[in-house]
Amino acid sequence: MTATATTPSTNRHGDEPLLSVRDLRVTFTRQGEEPFTAVDGVSFDVRPGQTVGLVGESGCGKSVTSLAIMGLLPRRGNRVEGTATFDGTDLLRLGSSEMRDRRGRDIAMIFQDPLSSLNPVVPVGLQVTEVLERHRKMSRKAATPLARDLLKRVGIPDPDRRLKDYPHQMSGGMRQRALIAMALACAPRLLIADEPTTALDVTIQAQILSLLKELVQETGTALVMITHDLGVVAGLCDEVNVLYGGRIVERGGRHELFGQPRHPYTNGLLASIPRLDAERAPLTPIPGSVSDNLPWTSACAFAPRCSQPVDVCTQRTPQLEESGSRALRCFNPVGGPR
Amino acid sequence: MTATAEPTPAETPVDERELLVDARGVKVHFPIKRGVILDKVIGHVYAVDGVDLQIRKGETYGLVGESGCGKSTLGKAILNLEPPTEGSVLVDGTDVASLKGAALRRRRKDFQMVFQDPMSSLDPRQSVESLLVEGMKAHGLATDAKATAKRLRELLAAVGLPAAALKKYPHEFSGGQRQRIGIARALAVEPKLIVADEPVSALDVSVQAQVINLLEELQDEFDLTYLVVAHDLAVVRHISDRIGVMYLGGLVEEASADDLYAQPLHPYTRALLSAVPLPDPAAEDAREQILLVGDLPSPSRPPSGCRFHTRCPWRQETRCDDERPQLRVVEVDGVPASHRVACHFAEEIARGEIQRHEVTATATVQDWRGEDEGDAIGPASVAEAEADARRTSSASSQVTPPGP
Repeated sequence: MTATATTPSTNRHGDEPLLSVRDLRVTFTRQGEEPFTAVDGVSFDVRPGQTVGLVGESGCGKSVTSLAIMGLLPRRGNRVEGTATFDGTDLLRLGSSEMRDRRGRDIAMIFQDPLSSLNPVVPVGLQVTEVLERHRKMSRKAATPLARDLLKRVGIPDPDRRLKDYPHQMSGGMRQRALIAMALACAPRLLIADEPTTALDVTIQAQILSLLKELVQETGTALVMITHDLGVVAGLCDEVNVLYGGRIVERGGRHELFGQPRHPYTNGLLASIPRLDAERAPLTPIPGSVSDNLPWTSACAFAPRCSQPVDVCTQRTPQLEESGSRALRCFNPVGGPR
Repeated sequence: MTATAEPTPAETPVDERELLVDARGVKVHFPIKRGVILDKVIGHVYAVDGVDLQIRKGETYGLVGESGCGKSTLGKAILNLEPPTEGSVLVDGTDVASLKGAALRRRRKDFQMVFQDPMSSLDPRQSVESLLVEGMKAHGLATDAKATAKRLRELLAAVGLPAAALKKYPHEFSGGQRQRIGIARALAVEPKLIVADEPVSALDVSVQAQVINLLEELQDEFDLTYLVVAHDLAVVRHISDRIGVMYLGGLVEEASADDLYAQPLHPYTRALLSAVPLPDPAAEDAREQILLVGDLPSPSRPPSGCRFHTRCPWRQETRCDDERPQLRVVEVDGVPASHRVACHFAEEIARGEIQRHEVTATATVQDWRGEDEGDAIGPASVAEAEADARRTSSASSQVTPPGP
């Protein structure tokens, strides 16, 4: 099959957010050590049919955000504050058995490494039917044809035979497809994809991304895309949140954000990646590494690596200021203050 | 300048320099063994299957391809870390493939490697000083203590680390700094050629650019020649003078970085380039993607003829299935003689005389030959290949013959 890229839909969103995360704060506590705040007051909305991106480098809190929403953080050693309202219910206040009922049915998740998120000793087909048995109370016999249809829908050739395969018998791309099939089994209204294509080759990545685009368009599922790859975000997400050190530093529609990045971090990221679609130009790296942070409580965490710091950056905490569809947390944005 | 069968381009200044690496007909085949006592060889993984590669002094050659295409194995074969099954590799005039033992070890001074994961390629129990001195001692470069200390300081300064780093251990550094240590270790023995296998893919986006820039600076400073093996096309294009695209053990296209991206001629290169997501929404919406169907076939049973014909949207009924194309210069306007491609129909495709067609899913299943073969990206190790072969042979009666 050869296909042209489809453009993400931007028009079919409802007005009411399906998921509304407010002031999410995740603190990891260890005996004898200072508590570490991995996610620090993150708020965002996801509307039906919308694709929202969380972008950032390792340690920015993007994965912890998704695990907290899904209730998948370990029970001990962390504190989760804030709210994550899904369809009128605060997911963070749900008990573990209530959450289990929702996970897989209303909200599904796709992880980075399909091999470690599939059970290696259970055939893939069984792992798909398991979801249907658990949530739709179907018998295995009734669920099997559905599972086959799901595998077929995500583009796995010869699904009848593949149902009996174990994960190790599949290629990386096919495993990721199987995982997507499992996530789609109960037609969830929200799909969280945590680096779904990072472990895959670029041609397979293109296949998976176009599959996700198709699914969002056909089913109206809301998608939260967590990635470090700005290219993936540019083609897929309607709204992009850039995270740094556990906080959102910039938010905007993809056209606005990439066309006119305002935060020095977003701008720096875009200047530091080699581009295929432009003349070769010298790269401007962001100095230092992601661990060179200041505490958000008394400064801007990005100040030590910033290309244009001013005095106030190391003295006060910048606030996330919203204006229209954009939000920015910076004292001295790129292009000057508006 | 003539476009003859002799594949030695001669246009740009780089092309006139002396050859540092001249690999001819390199093959690396890994045996797939079975049986406990007899260890019978039941097949081979054709990781690298007949590659000619020339690298000139001072240039950066980029090898790209997807996982399982043999790019890393080829890089190792050039250093004789993976002895080639066939073919010759001349590095600076010496046939590396024929060297053994002490002679090989001595020659290794001239070619060093930088690995992908700096955490696992640095011994966690060795301080930076001991990591850097080890190679120098082995090659007799660390005889004078004072000179060695000076050299260490120079090395650290060259890769942008403070002198205080000498007494520290790898875990005390960030990923980008560790990669700098790995580069300093390679530089310590004053090599001529550095093979960098995915040097930035384990690093954070903001740090990647630092290491890419560092590699470029060091090349100018120490007159190095690089062979960069990577899967990230944007990185390879940025850093390389010339690029070779690999698919299933063979080079399918070779050109200067700008030519390759300006006018890709091989269908696989086109698909590969069109699959890279661009960090520009307008370009993303406008671009036409060539989505390939299915995965890479197993390198233990590569398709006949052109290796890419099973997934090629431009495949023709004639030649593609049974005749393996060789790298050749194509006669298309504006394509220089240094741009070589292994496709029978490159001219026709470039002129738009052959249209892209749908590769149907059924054809892919048949061409896969692998309903029970499992990992279509190919085995990552001999053990995996063995398991793979066992499965295949037990189900060989069910294997569907390749499509028409």
